[in-house]
Amino acid sequence: MKNRSGRKQGGAEVVEVTDELASPSSTLTREQLLKRGTAAAFAVAMFGGLPDKAFGFAGPHRFTQRQLSGELRIMTWAHFVPAYDQWFDNTYVKRWGEQNDVEVKVDHINNALLYSTGASEVAAQSGHDLFWFISPPSTFQKQTLPLNDIVQEVSRKLGRMTAVARKSTYNPRTRQFYGFPNDYAPDPVHYRRSYLNEVGGSLRTWEDVRRAAPRLKAAGHPMGLGMSNEIDSNMLLTSLLYCYGGFIQNEENRIVIGQGKNRKGAIEALQLMRDIFRNGMSDEVFAWTAASNNQAFLAGRLSVALNAISICRSAEQQGNQALSDDTWLASIPAGPVMRMGNEHVMGVYVIWRFARNKEAAKKFLVDTMLNYREHFVRSQYYNFPAWTGAIRGGFKTIRAMTARDTHKPKGKYTVLTTIAEKYTTNPGFPGNTTPVMDEIFNTFLIPQMFAQVAQGKMSPAEAVSAFNRTAQRLYRKWRSQGLV
Amino acid sequence: VTWRQKSLTYLVLGPFAIVLAFPFYFALVTMFKTNLDLANVEHSPYVYNDLEGNFHWDFWNYATTEHVTFLFTDTNYPTWILNTVLVAAAVVGITLVFALPAGYALARLAGGWGQTAGIGIFLVYLVPPTLLFLPISRLIVEVGRLPGIDDEEGLKDSLWALILVYPSFTIPFATWLIMGFFKTIPQELEEAALVDGCSRLGALVRIVFPVSLPGILTVVIFAFSLCVNEFIYAFTLISSSEQRTISAGVPNDLIRGDVFFWQSLMAATVIPAIPLALLYNAFLDRFIKGFTGGAFR
Repeated sequence: MKNRSGRKQGGAEVVEVTDELASPSSTLTREQLLKRGTAAAFAVAMFGGLPDKAFGFAGPHRFTQRQLSGELRIMTWAHFVPAYDQWFDNTYVKRWGEQNDVEVKVDHINNALLYSTGASEVAAQSGHDLFWFISPPSTFQKQTLPLNDIVQEVSRKLGRMTAVARKSTYNPRTRQFYGFPNDYAPDPVHYRRSYLNEVGGSLRTWEDVRRAAPRLKAAGHPMGLGMSNEIDSNMLLTSLLYCYGGFIQNEENRIVIGQGKNRKGAIEALQLMRDIFRNGMSDEVFAWTAASNNQAFLAGRLSVALNAISICRSAEQQGNQALSDDTWLASIPAGPVMRMGNEHVMGVYVIWRFARNKEAAKKFLVDTMLNYREHFVRSQYYNFPAWTGAIRGGFKTIRAMTARDTHKPKGKYTVLTTIAEKYTTNPGFPGNTTPVMDEIFNTFLIPQMFAQVAQGKMSPAEAVSAFNRTAQRLYRKWRSQGLV
Repeated sequence: VTWRQKSLTYLVLGPFAIVLAFPFYFALVTMFKTNLDLANVEHSPYVYNDLEGNFHWDFWNYATTEHVTFLFTDTNYPTWILNTVLVAAAVVGITLVFALPAGYALARLAGGWGQTAGIGIFLVYLVPPTLLFLPISRLIVEVGRLPGIDDEEGLKDSLWALILVYPSFTIPFATWLIMGFFKTIPQELEEAALVDGCSRLGALVRIVFPVSLPGILTVVIFAFSLCVNEFIYAFTLISSSEQRTISAGVPNDLIRGDVFFWQSLMAATVIPAIPLALLYNAFLDRFIKGFTGGAFR
């Protein structure tokens, strides 16, 4: 049995191999020899046709005149823009691999399966070097490599990272960045302008939304604000809590939703959503998946939905001109306390502690962020960079770029810049995205709290109390592990 | 058979046939729909419509093949089909090699513990895959650390992982199924063959297996169907698109973010269903015999 340990020296990996069989304390009985010999013979017989699996060599060099310095395996989601993934896999990654003498392999999976796949890799202590998550995966931070060094390196070159990125990936207790913030997507309101004009409604404040909901439903165009176990509902409903001042935790990451003004704000938010549901929506919102609001909106049924721009981009790609032209974007409505929303997607890369090519993984992240402009364009303005300075000129340039989009109504995407700059924050605001918040998100406690109230199973006050008790328990659990 | 009996038969079976065939019809229509036709809820989903929602008899002018083309040109769909066939063929082979002798041995074992062992084997099959996928995932990695392989990734991301794992569910069920079938074959048949000079193995191959063909075919179809349908292991053990089987590849690559590629999804499910349906149909009588064969003795 061989133990291997690798270290980098001048770009090439030096593998130190210690052979346990050579150790004086190690002996091999005849029985062990027979067992191991049989196992080896079986393995070679079974997998002899697969040289890379059987013998662990990578085959012929991929790039002429160059010595490969390893393989980098990346797991990420299947982007809703297929062309982005094709460019990323076949152009960007290929080019980066050639420049760095690394063979890069990218795998894509459905975003709903990212967490379970991550958990599976952790359980097996084997998998990809870089793993991209759709929301800050802070419950995994004991399994990830701290990335303070590359965060500082990028910040030196591009300036400060956005607050949403920092709060999503920094743990003030451990003083570590457990992940590398790569991209985020603002979460605008999509609305059918003609439907809203028809009933004389407005979406400026949540009170306006409450007033417009019954009129829109009566006109045959219900609102589509989800309350089910999926990411869109999570993002929307947590944002609603911010707008009403019902913060789950404070700046020190202590759970405060059960106290004073926070409790009052949360109760008001729950009452508002109950009213919107009863008067302006249908039962289907309790059974939605992340795709349901897209589908209902694209089918022309919904008047209002909160989502990243996949709805309006899909309408454009489908050639549904009438629906596309009538779909306008707006910032999240204001509440009595503030106008603030969560990011829709917070793309965070982690490097597992068991990753085999950590150096290449780090370099890939740094290089990608330093050259993020093309990612922003190719993703059709979906992927905003975690460091705004990654696009020369920052938000000013971003605003100009989004304003140049040719789809009608002209300038509809400009508001994305405003949302990204002023009204986008992290789950857990005003604190960090702690493991407590991550677990609350991944067990969908927030949509469940809203659904219980909307369905009349609990009063708003009872729902807040029950949520508070669970959140406090999670806080104690993660505090005992030293992560909050 | 009188016309009255015939009519009654069709009257009873007709509605069932329509209900069962309807999902295929719906998928078949949807896979050729244009985006605008599909997205408009005022259009009938069962026919092809123009932009105003009117049906025309020359429906081919209002349908499109672009989504089926997308499936074959922009995804690894042909590779997924090939991978599925390779895995299924290997698993069927391995299952037969182990399940036939095991089933035979258990069927012929005198005393009560043969039956107890049979039930024990069947109980293994009932352990849900959701409980097993994490330890199996770990095992697949450990296989790579065997002497001579030394690959940190083990068999992960390789079709070999599925070829090794799937028989762990197919063999118990197949053993149990074939055991019941072997029990229906009179032992005198084998004894006659032994008297005529056959060895035990010869009697098995020349007498028992040919008589058991319906049962063996049922095992083949069961193992093959499992390989085509299985998702958890296909998804957990394989992460690269070009190594996936159809059950994991289709939902992974045709649901992107929160956007479903409906027409391509429908096409991806209908295409493999057609040969499978024909195969089932061709051997229908034998399957019925196979499943009911062990019921009487």
